[in-house]
Amino acid sequence: MNPRKRVKKLRRLSELEDLINKEKEKREKETRPIISISSGTCGRARGSEKLTEAFKKAIRQENLQDKIILKSTGCHGFCEAEPNVIIYPEGIFYQKLAPKNAQEIIQRTILKGEIIDSFLYVDPTNGQKAIREGEISFYRKQRRIVLGANPLIDPLDIYDYFSIGGYSSLLKTLSSLSPEEVIETIKKSGLRGRGGAGFPTGKKWEFARAQKSELKYIICNADEGDPGAYMDRSLLEGNPHRVIEGMIIGAYAIGASEGYIYVRDEYPLAVANVSIALEQARKLGLLGENILGTGFNFDLHIAKGAGAFVCGEETALIASIEGRVGEPRQRPPYPAVKGLWGKPTVINNVETWGNVPIILEKGADWFASIGTNGSKGTKIFSLVGKINNTGLVEVPMGITLREIIFDIGGGIPQSRKFKAVQTGGPSGGCLPEKLIDLPIDYESLTQAGSIMGSGGMIVMDDRTCMVDVARYFLNFLRDESCGKCLSCREGTQRLWEIVTEITKGKGTMDHLALLEELAMAVKDASLCGLGQTAPNPVLSTLRYFRDEYEAHIKYKKCPALVCKDIISSPCHYICPIDQEASTYIALIAQGRFEEAYNVILKDNPLPSVCSRVCHHPCESVCRAGEGGEPIAIRALKRFVIDWAREHNIQPNIPSTEKSRERVAIIGAGPAGLTAGYYLSLRGFQVTIFDSLPQPGGWLIKGIPKHRLPRELLQRDIDNIIKTGIEIRTNATLGRDFSLADLFNQGFKAIFLATGAHRSIKLGIPGEEAEGVIQATELLKKINFGEKVELRGKIAIIGGGNAAIDAARVAIRNENCQKVIILYRRTINEMPAFKEEIESALEEGVEIQFLTAPKRIIVKEGKVIGLECLRMKLGEPDSSGRRRPIPIEGSEFIVDVNMVIPAIGERPDISYLQNVDRIQVTKEETIVVDRESFMTNLPGVFAGGDVVTGPATVVEAMAAGKKAAKTIEEYVSTGKIKMEYKLKRPSIWVEQVKLSEDELEKARRPKLTKISMKLRKSSFKEVEQGLSENQAILEAKRCLRCDLETEEAKMAMRREK
Amino acid sequence: MIRLIMNGLEVQAEEGWTLLQTARFYGLEIPTLCYHEGLSVFGGCRLCLVEIGEGSKARLVTSCTYPAEEGLIVHTDTKRVIAARRMMIELMLSVAPNSKTIQDLASKFGVTQVRFKIRNEECILCGLCVRMCAEQMDGRAIGFQNRGYRRKISTPFDLRSEECRLCGGCIYICPACQLRCQGPEAETAVCNACLTLDPTCLDYYNELQCWMYDAGRCGTCVREAREKKNTSAASKL
Repeated sequence: MNPRKRVKKLRRLSELEDLINKEKEKREKETRPIISISSGTCGRARGSEKLTEAFKKAIRQENLQDKIILKSTGCHGFCEAEPNVIIYPEGIFYQKLAPKNAQEIIQRTILKGEIIDSFLYVDPTNGQKAIREGEISFYRKQRRIVLGANPLIDPLDIYDYFSIGGYSSLLKTLSSLSPEEVIETIKKSGLRGRGGAGFPTGKKWEFARAQKSELKYIICNADEGDPGAYMDRSLLEGNPHRVIEGMIIGAYAIGASEGYIYVRDEYPLAVANVSIALEQARKLGLLGENILGTGFNFDLHIAKGAGAFVCGEETALIASIEGRVGEPRQRPPYPAVKGLWGKPTVINNVETWGNVPIILEKGADWFASIGTNGSKGTKIFSLVGKINNTGLVEVPMGITLREIIFDIGGGIPQSRKFKAVQTGGPSGGCLPEKLIDLPIDYESLTQAGSIMGSGGMIVMDDRTCMVDVARYFLNFLRDESCGKCLSCREGTQRLWEIVTEITKGKGTMDHLALLEELAMAVKDASLCGLGQTAPNPVLSTLRYFRDEYEAHIKYKKCPALVCKDIISSPCHYICPIDQEASTYIALIAQGRFEEAYNVILKDNPLPSVCSRVCHHPCESVCRAGEGGEPIAIRALKRFVIDWAREHNIQPNIPSTEKSRERVAIIGAGPAGLTAGYYLSLRGFQVTIFDSLPQPGGWLIKGIPKHRLPRELLQRDIDNIIKTGIEIRTNATLGRDFSLADLFNQGFKAIFLATGAHRSIKLGIPGEEAEGVIQATELLKKINFGEKVELRGKIAIIGGGNAAIDAARVAIRNENCQKVIILYRRTINEMPAFKEEIESALEEGVEIQFLTAPKRIIVKEGKVIGLECLRMKLGEPDSSGRRRPIPIEGSEFIVDVNMVIPAIGERPDISYLQNVDRIQVTKEETIVVDRESFMTNLPGVFAGGDVVTGPATVVEAMAAGKKAAKTIEEYVSTGKIKMEYKLKRPSIWVEQVKLSEDELEKARRPKLTKISMKLRKSSFKEVEQGLSENQAILEAKRCLRCDLETEEAKMAMRREK
Repeated sequence: MIRLIMNGLEVQAEEGWTLLQTARFYGLEIPTLCYHEGLSVFGGCRLCLVEIGEGSKARLVTSCTYPAEEGLIVHTDTKRVIAARRMMIELMLSVAPNSKTIQDLASKFGVTQVRFKIRNEECILCGLCVRMCAEQMDGRAIGFQNRGYRRKISTPFDLRSEECRLCGGCIYICPACQLRCQGPEAETAVCNACLTLDPTCLDYYNELQCWMYDAGRCGTCVREAREKKNTSAASKL
């Protein structure tokens, strides 16, 4: 309000009418541009006050004080884009501004009418820019009837509120409606309490109206305490008069003479803005005695709450205003009968009051036309969590979760998978993905096990552990429970204790039953809404995510990698063969290389192989990689392996007496060798059969030498054989012997680890021509030193590792002019390892994405070209990758002399033809029990690629390692009992920290590569290892997550 | 007179009566703990729960605080009520296992296990002492502090209160520390000795002849019997 303006108290209804009309007219006639700066609490946190100052300065500089209106308004709702401005009358929306941008906006947009591209909002899903507010996907599906006025008005200026028709509903009420008619209108509109429970507002007013009492009160409940919910704050900050107007109308309807706005003290801006608004309304005579000459008396006060969550409960809130401890009491009597100081009292939520003036202005029918059958109007949700467009959204009731999360919210950041959404704050429930098309209203949410609550909406992605979520909310609730009822105080505490046990991997299946039983008792036995809804997080997660609880309890796994005491260190946790990465990294940091070597060897019979070709899942989950670079774990392992080799340290392999049963292993690949190694160490007589002339399987046949030098592979294999394994090469199952033969020869168990070596054909014309060679065939020949004639331009089809390997092998051939990889999707979907793709590109391999072959052009039996089709990406398929769709008529011809298909491999299980009792899948993989690796044939186990289809070395090794354990159990006891333990380091190693200086400079080391000339002309290993200094420095960079568990902390204390 | 239906019977309550008062008037037993006739009602222990209403609208309320309403349908002992009550007893037992009052409640309602970690806090925050102090002794020396799981009963600032006249009313009325469970040292938190209906000394003495007036309920003989059994088992080895 302009302080110079003389405020005259309005004494008659007509005076208010005149004032409103005058202000409205003024706004209509206004031609000057208006810059509206979003300056609520969230905007201020992002620097909107500095931005306002910068605008003022820029306007002064250009001498435009009288030509521009600058407004510092309440929150515009789009928190993600703070601080943002909207420039009227065009409605241009600029986002994420810095103070230095102010001048540019004044000069270019205001003076010249240009749109500044770089300040526009860019849609994260399609990259399109939006100029106006209404073009932004975030606003498009919203219906902002309550919040919509926020950007238009200065919350500190009552006249601004008049200019958008503010207080005209009050005028209408006082001049032409009886209290009964107001209540009738509200009842007819179907407005229900926005605080969560959804009690019909009109009915509540009617009760209060019917009470015979001299004194009645109304209260606005602004005790908004849910974590991540702030719609009430934003409305109070941005448009306090709307709430006040609603309350005056409410007071008139029920006959109240006094009211309170109960707002928490943590909302200083809301308190300040409401105080100013009340003062203005009082000065104008909208509050006080004999309002506008109608004889109606009403005044409003602010009551500040100290921030207890339970004070949002109406009886506790009343107790708090009365100066007592905020604890709920038994209803009845309801506040509408006996409320504040024993008088009839109506309590409604901020948003409910905010809706009242709109209903009276536009009519009950208009309001009732929005929403669903039982729930009318709009609801404001605060959309937070793992979502692109964080902000306040006001949507009509009945909108689906999908529309809110994906259309308005813009989906999940980094294109991760949506997992669940928690509605209604801590005492709401988690709704899973399968309910994403649920239309939202009071009833549907309750049915789904959640509540509307005040409108918090926390979106979670696949990196959220639902057990941890339940634990988090229970922790909040056990703290915020007032503690009066035993059920709520002790119940939430016990629920929290049990869930915490589960997140530590110490849960039992009995705990789940107990959780459910206790949760139901807490729900039933508690007095107020807090206790009655407190178990919702547990119950809803148990209902929709029971498998996650079971994973924590039974398998000691946290699928989302969140629960610290289960995960210990993510690198160790995720490793399929349980390599203690954190331990050996710690040992490297201390310079204890030999011990590190032994730690590696303990869990890995093929350490040299893994140090070169492992796809290092450990690095992709490394916590140092969240917001930084992951530790170069594979390079560190390689350093230890190379160091041991240089220092001629032989692995310490215990010799065991081979006194136990005979076990046959078919296939000397990573799975077979690993299984053989561990069985042999346990004293079994192991024989490995392989159809190739040398052991190694895909390692020796498929992986080129430039990635895996053969002397290293040989060293590992020799060490495995040294444990006392018999290897029979050139022995093929099905041709040379059968499964029955093996059992007859006295083998007690058979492990099938025959891999996936059969190439899939393209299935296009011309595949039989000369010049078409399968990638596996090519790799095999080159790896075994056979001559392959490569010539001219070569097209490789596929995007897997075999395709890249084939390309890099081909480009090393002197007769090869050019190598092109054709892949039908984009680089994001390519299954090959990222570093391999980079290396291939460095070496000159070209990759054409979104291209698929249609026909091989053959002339005189030879390949002369390849007809291709352009593709585009469609909806995700079963593998989660987006399906490529051919673009009609986009055929083009690639000029090539050779075509190398590498579109995938399948297991060759023709050897099973005589033993048709073994169950296989459509994809020709063998079916096994997921935990025991046993096929349907007793004593016959299978693992590795033959079960999974083409996968990675370390996954095959893991299958071998696990199968060795179950085979041992099976052979010695005839039964298989699975046991799951938490993964913990075998030794505790103290952390060596980097100094501040080192920390500043520490970066993930880049492996040096040999010269391009050498690369292109030989099969020498491309990547070179780390130096000792580099390795120690990198090892010190490790965050040592393994020391974060309770056990670790205890162990470290003991050592000290 | 207010007419309501309690356990299927049409009963009448006087204006201002609670459901508990009505039930007791008609001889329907409802267990209570934080309720005391001489003190104001609190509704904290949740033992006196009854089910009101029917069908999907049925809910549990504490009978000590809920006023008798015209036409209300009340059930005092449904499955739902008993399940909730049992859980309340189990929760109380887990924090104050040495209270005979609570052990007796456990025996009476068939609570045979405590599945939570025992905390031995000896206080279930029923608030009887606070009300006793304020309402009967006019002391107001103690009160509740904090909220949620941190809640406790103490004097202001945990200092000795000048209001306290050491009258002992608080200890007199306390259900947790006034009467200690002195039965056999039970292996679990649930003693279940005093109110179990089969007198164990019958097996041992072949006669109900206990120096305590209420035979067998003290449980002493159980302990002796067990010890004897153990020694005899040991001598056999």
